[in-house]
Amino acid sequence: MSIALLLIPLGLVLLGVAVWAFFWAVNNDQFEDLDHVAEHALDEEPAAPALPKSPP
Amino acid sequence: MSEAAAHLHWHGPGGLEQLEFFAEGMHCANCARSIRSKVGALPGVARVEVNLTTARVSVAWDPQRSRLRTVLDTVEGLGFHAVPLNGAAGSDAQRAERRRMQKRIGLAALAAMQMSMYTVGLYVGAWTGIDPWIEQLLRVTAMLIAVPVMFYSGAPFLTGAWHDLRRRSLGMDVPVAAALALAFVASVINTFRGSGQVYFDSVAMFIGFLLVGRYIEMNVRRNSLDAGEALVRSLPATVTRLKPDGTSERIGLQQVAAGDRLVVPMGAVIPVDGILEGDGTLIDESLISGESVPVARASGEALPGGAINVGAACTLRASRDARHSTLASMAALIERAQAERPPQALAADRAAAQFVAWIVVLAAAVAAFWFWFDRARAFEATLAVLVVTCPCALSLATPVAIAAATTRLAKRGMLITRADALERLAAVDTVVLDKSGTLTSARMQLAEVRCLGALGREAVLRLAASLEQHSAHPLAAAFTGASTDRCPVDDVRERAGQGLEGRIGGELWRIGRREYVAELAAAQPAAAASEGSDDFIWLGSSAGFGAAFAVTDALRPDAAAAIAALRALGLTVRIASGDRRSTVTRVAAELGIGEASGRMSPQAKLELIGELQRQQHRVLMVGDGINDGPVLAAAHVSCAMGGGAALAHAAADLLLMNESLLSVAAAVQTARGTMRLMRSNLRWALGYNLCAVPLAAAGLVSPWLAALGMSGSSLYVVERARRFATGAT
Repeated sequence: MSIALLLIPLGLVLLGVAVWAFFWAVNNDQFEDLDHVAEHALDEEPAAPALPKSPP
Repeated sequence: MSEAAAHLHWHGPGGLEQLEFFAEGMHCANCARSIRSKVGALPGVARVEVNLTTARVSVAWDPQRSRLRTVLDTVEGLGFHAVPLNGAAGSDAQRAERRRMQKRIGLAALAAMQMSMYTVGLYVGAWTGIDPWIEQLLRVTAMLIAVPVMFYSGAPFLTGAWHDLRRRSLGMDVPVAAALALAFVASVINTFRGSGQVYFDSVAMFIGFLLVGRYIEMNVRRNSLDAGEALVRSLPATVTRLKPDGTSERIGLQQVAAGDRLVVPMGAVIPVDGILEGDGTLIDESLISGESVPVARASGEALPGGAINVGAACTLRASRDARHSTLASMAALIERAQAERPPQALAADRAAAQFVAWIVVLAAAVAAFWFWFDRARAFEATLAVLVVTCPCALSLATPVAIAAATTRLAKRGMLITRADALERLAAVDTVVLDKSGTLTSARMQLAEVRCLGALGREAVLRLAASLEQHSAHPLAAAFTGASTDRCPVDDVRERAGQGLEGRIGGELWRIGRREYVAELAAAQPAAAASEGSDDFIWLGSSAGFGAAFAVTDALRPDAAAAIAALRALGLTVRIASGDRRSTVTRVAAELGIGEASGRMSPQAKLELIGELQRQQHRVLMVGDGINDGPVLAAAHVSCAMGGGAALAHAAADLLLMNESLLSVAAAVQTARGTMRLMRSNLRWALGYNLCAVPLAAAGLVSPWLAALGMSGSSLYVVERARRFATGAT
């Protein structure tokens, strides 16, 4: 059963990674707007900057 | 806080200083009471108002006797955090609070999952045999995870209970913190002893579920606060003041004093009541009086604050300061109405406080009994009682049902601005509808054309459309679709509030008020021409009058269907409008509504509502204009069109963002469904507690089973609400 000595600390590390990832997501606005971000693909593109006129 | 306080803090009347803020961490009637009594006891404090629903606090005090710092320190000393109400700082603080809450929930949930695995190991081990060192390893690991959960995720309950105790009051946090502390400390002791039960997983699960309940409650409250802010936002923050030497300066709205000369640009809101100077202009009073047609004002006439200047830029001499302006007093009226708590909510608060007291007494009794009867089982039984009676399902039952209904309504374009609106909406039996902007849309349309001269209908419409395309007046929009071809117009000149003239094919034409056109036509139209209505737009040239147009606001296409839907729900429908009687009668006849009254001032509307309420009717008021603000606030429950004035929004319990009247019936239906869900959730939670408490007190429930039962009952309540939100039930 000495494998538990490896697996339990490993589980702790994974838990740490999961908590870190969740905190990162919260701090980076991943949960600020759950409803409308999916529709952003349908928004109008911002107007493209006017291209400099090429000489004739 | 000090720099944030600066913009929320002003010198009020009578030399008093005033401060408004949002008390973070306030969630029960006890908290509100302690702020009121502690801050009110400071020297020189004249007034303390606490709004429990929005957690908004307003204090007025004598700066000679107390300092701003003292007031803030007192609030913070009670365990609340004073957060600025509006501005970027306020929303930042709210966002930070929301994020902290999300992190706490996330940590508790992840930790609870991890620890439940160790617990399974421990239980299976106890059954089949386990190496003592592995058992100890599992205990120690669980403890390592439990420490951050207890002190980071559980912090709101621990600090809340601490502040409750320091205030010598019993809040919801006290039994929760007692259960947490008891379970945690016992588990830590057992871990160091290396034997006995550990309850770390129960602690994490318990914290997680309680936090979810708090989080939902917080979001419901935030929605209501945002709606209140809309009121303040409808006023400009700064205005331009003319100095005596002719130069101008920008000053804050609060600094405007009577006698100041202010510049109001075109399209801006008139900041305070005042007298117009210089040239005349056209103002849109729809925010103030609900009058949909802009009116002309000449030099020397009074302008009400809150109206919109749709004519040219003008100069205004303020007759009152900003705090005493029409709009400000209406805002104050609404604010006061909102600060009053409905009796049901107060009763619920009192019941919850009593419930908490009973839990503590019960837990103490159970502890005492078992200590005397069987000391070994005293701890487990007491803990089980505290956990099992945690008013989790009970306290979740109401907020989740409301949150679910809010989501369901939001999906259909309706916004709830107050948490208890649904409760009141479900009980409604009479609907009072405003006409302008509610039954009708704000879009103007041509109702009638009367030809007065030699020209035919097509010809006069073409002339009118050609002239009116040069006008920005809202009434001009009625002609846009009236004729497809336009004639070229020269020499266009507009006279504010009168009409417009222009040369078409060499002939000068005027369109507008009767007197204005009569000036050119040098004649009066036949009396018969204006029969039946007094609101015509006239068209004429030097040859005489050409035509009269009746313009009216168009009935919403779904109005008839909406009235039918409301009747199908068993509601009585009435119209109360500030508009002319003839117009109101026509609309009422079109929709088949018997009870319709026109020419009603806001005061008369208030009286009508009061009269209906005295007859034991529960009234839903649907309106839009700012003059509806006090009426909306007085009604049992109120509903405003999303396109209406911002102030009506702030007073309304329900906003129809989709501008569809049919939503009113849908909202009433959803509200009734919500109440059914809430009641059955409460019954379920109560039933669960009634079964579980005796078992726990008898020592038949171990703490892990208690936490499981508590979680299960909460999950069941949440799941039913989720299904309601998606419309499955």
